[in-house]
Amino acid sequence: MLFNSFDFFFFLPIVFILYWFVAYKSIKFQNIILLIASYVFYGWWDWRFLSLIALSTLIDYTAGLKIHESKDSSTKKKWLWLSIIFNLGMLGFFKYYNFFIDSWIDLCASLGYAVESSWTLQVILPVGISFYTFQTLSYSIDIYKGKLKPTSNFIAFATFVSFFPQLVAGPIERATNLIPQFLTTRKFTYKTFSYGIKLMIWGFFLKLVVADRAAIYVNAVYNNIDNHDGLSFIAATVLFAFQIYGDFAGYSLIAIGTSKLFGFDLMTNFKRPYFSASVSEFWTRWHISLSTWFRDYLYIPLGGNRVKKPRWLFNLFITFLISGLWHGANWTFVVWGGLNGVYLILEVLFLKKKRKGILNIGITFILINFAWIFFRANTINDAFFIIKRICTVPGRLYIGSGDDITASLYATLAIAILVVIETKKEFFNTAFSISNNKYESVRLFGYAVLIYMILYFGVFGKSQFIYFQF
Amino acid sequence: MVKKEYKLSLIKLGKFLLIFLIVDFGLGIVSKQLFFSQETGKYARSIQAVKNTNAQVLIFGSSHAHRHYVPEVFEKNLNKTTYNAGAEGQQLLYHLAMQQMIVKRVKPEIIILNIDEDFLYYSKEAYDRLSDLHPYYSDYRQELRPILGLESKLVDVKLFFNAYQTNSTIMHVLRYFASPQLDYLGYRPLFGKIEKHSSIINETNKEQDLDDNFVNALYQFIATAIDNDIKLVFVTSPRLNQVDDVNNVSFNKIKNIAKEKEIPLINYFNHKEFTNKLELFHDPSHLNDTGARLFSRDVALKIVK
Repeated sequence: MLFNSFDFFFFLPIVFILYWFVAYKSIKFQNIILLIASYVFYGWWDWRFLSLIALSTLIDYTAGLKIHESKDSSTKKKWLWLSIIFNLGMLGFFKYYNFFIDSWIDLCASLGYAVESSWTLQVILPVGISFYTFQTLSYSIDIYKGKLKPTSNFIAFATFVSFFPQLVAGPIERATNLIPQFLTTRKFTYKTFSYGIKLMIWGFFLKLVVADRAAIYVNAVYNNIDNHDGLSFIAATVLFAFQIYGDFAGYSLIAIGTSKLFGFDLMTNFKRPYFSASVSEFWTRWHISLSTWFRDYLYIPLGGNRVKKPRWLFNLFITFLISGLWHGANWTFVVWGGLNGVYLILEVLFLKKKRKGILNIGITFILINFAWIFFRANTINDAFFIIKRICTVPGRLYIGSGDDITASLYATLAIAILVVIETKKEFFNTAFSISNNKYESVRLFGYAVLIYMILYFGVFGKSQFIYFQF
Repeated sequence: MVKKEYKLSLIKLGKFLLIFLIVDFGLGIVSKQLFFSQETGKYARSIQAVKNTNAQVLIFGSSHAHRHYVPEVFEKNLNKTTYNAGAEGQQLLYHLAMQQMIVKRVKPEIIILNIDEDFLYYSKEAYDRLSDLHPYYSDYRQELRPILGLESKLVDVKLFFNAYQTNSTIMHVLRYFASPQLDYLGYRPLFGKIEKHSSIINETNKEQDLDDNFVNALYQFIATAIDNDIKLVFVTSPRLNQVDDVNNVSFNKIKNIAKEKEIPLINYFNHKEFTNKLELFHDPSHLNDTGARLFSRDVALKIVK
């Protein structure tokens, strides 16, 4: 089920009422409601893949208990490896199997050896597999490291794995933060309820108005690269920067807001990343739940920055390279990750002071946008073609044809609203605020207008969230 | 304590919904007013057709209707007022909806439906583009509900909000206000001619499923014309290239329906006066103004006969 579908608008109130008004006396009953709701939410897309979530739940639940119970470190290790192999194996098979086979065939072909492609399989990528496998992996690893005690409450654990607001596109929660919330009483308060609704409204604005409007122009350009020149590629790339931000930050806000309706606190996933004055700062503001996951479970175990400098730089690079691969089974993502790694290495080598100021924000924005070209391009060759075109043939700015013209105008308008609001939050947070205004009528009126704008300017074509594919 | 929180939330939610409905109503009036005040552009033409025209001859169809039928020529040859209600990119469901809304107010004498050979094949765009009808929903609920219901079962819920009814229309309003788009009783001519051309045969046969909703729409379009005593004529527009439609399931079905319901079908595919005549075409699928005038005159004379 998609957040931006009408199905969700019937689903959510039903679950809400069952949760707070029918099951309110028992945490266990509430968890069961959430568990069933989560399986329905996921099964709405394809019920067959529920078995993967169930299997993942079962294996990590057992592994968690066994790791904790065992006194013998080799037994602990065996159970940890079972969890790692199962989760990464599942991810590897569904997400990367064809990618590696195709890459191998391409490599052989480039060396002059023809290899038959009979190994390629018709594999459907289960939605959200990268998210929930990472979430459950962190559970086993934290228990192994002694940071967390396993829960013996199977229902609570199963709900933690499949919790529908963040199941398919994060934030990737840590067991240390989320599992205790499934084990304690959730209290309904007006404050969290209204805050949750506000986050959801803003999330829907980001998704339906900013991201989906920008997507029309971006797709028109990036999917027809032969027909466009440098200026159009620059415009499309900048719009893509806002598209992916609106899409993913929008999803995260809806997820966090929905969780609040049920009394849960999820971690913040985005902190106005385009106001970063360096790429390293960007990665503390963008997809925070993933960045910190890689930091804690890959970068630090590799030695982090507490090693010799060359090794430190290698750790940085490899972490970003793998992070790129996590995003998708395509070399474009690998290059995108690698490029970000290179940015960070250069910052380590040449920037001694913490950067600040508008100029640095501008430079960082350009660097990030340059990397987005690889992220969005359909192939590596497309990305290089686009870069070459930007550098050599500025040409004419495509403004769309027919209804496409208005699409880019809507996108520009929506982005302007977003930039004004985020600038105000970033630099003038104490100034006039609608969401925190002391007058209730101003707050209510402000959000009513925002919903009106979503319905008036939004795109309602059941568009998917980009991060679903990861 | 908890009950107090529920009560507070419910009251605040109620307040919020009330304010939202007021906002939706107030801004909805403004956006509807803006929408229906358009004087040029695609929406202005549909408004003219639905709300204003009293033309005796009405033309329906996609871009082929919009670009090929010159009302002035029909008026001269048929001696009847004519309006071109053709709409670019639109298909049968849209034309049916337009017909239903128009006959509620006025009964034209003749309706010409320009037939595209693929009209009955499933097309996602045909459903998606029904959103152009949303602004009419509050005034024509009875006529539009069955058609828009094919696009979404929750049509009543979605279109309850004025904001959604006029979704994505404001830029059109501003665009055509800033840069008016001229038309001549709904017709917009194309100019220029094709310079180079290699004579080929366009095969329109496809292995594709027919959409039952489109078949039913065609039947309903015919039934509405018959019930309202309106003469209905099907016409196919000329193409530059020869057309091989022998195994086009959609077109064969349309021909059979026309025969079954005794609707005249004037077929201009492979018409010797137009095929391979570069000077009459703007592109291989669309006539230029010269071609459109010649075609309109020909069709009008055939109708007179």
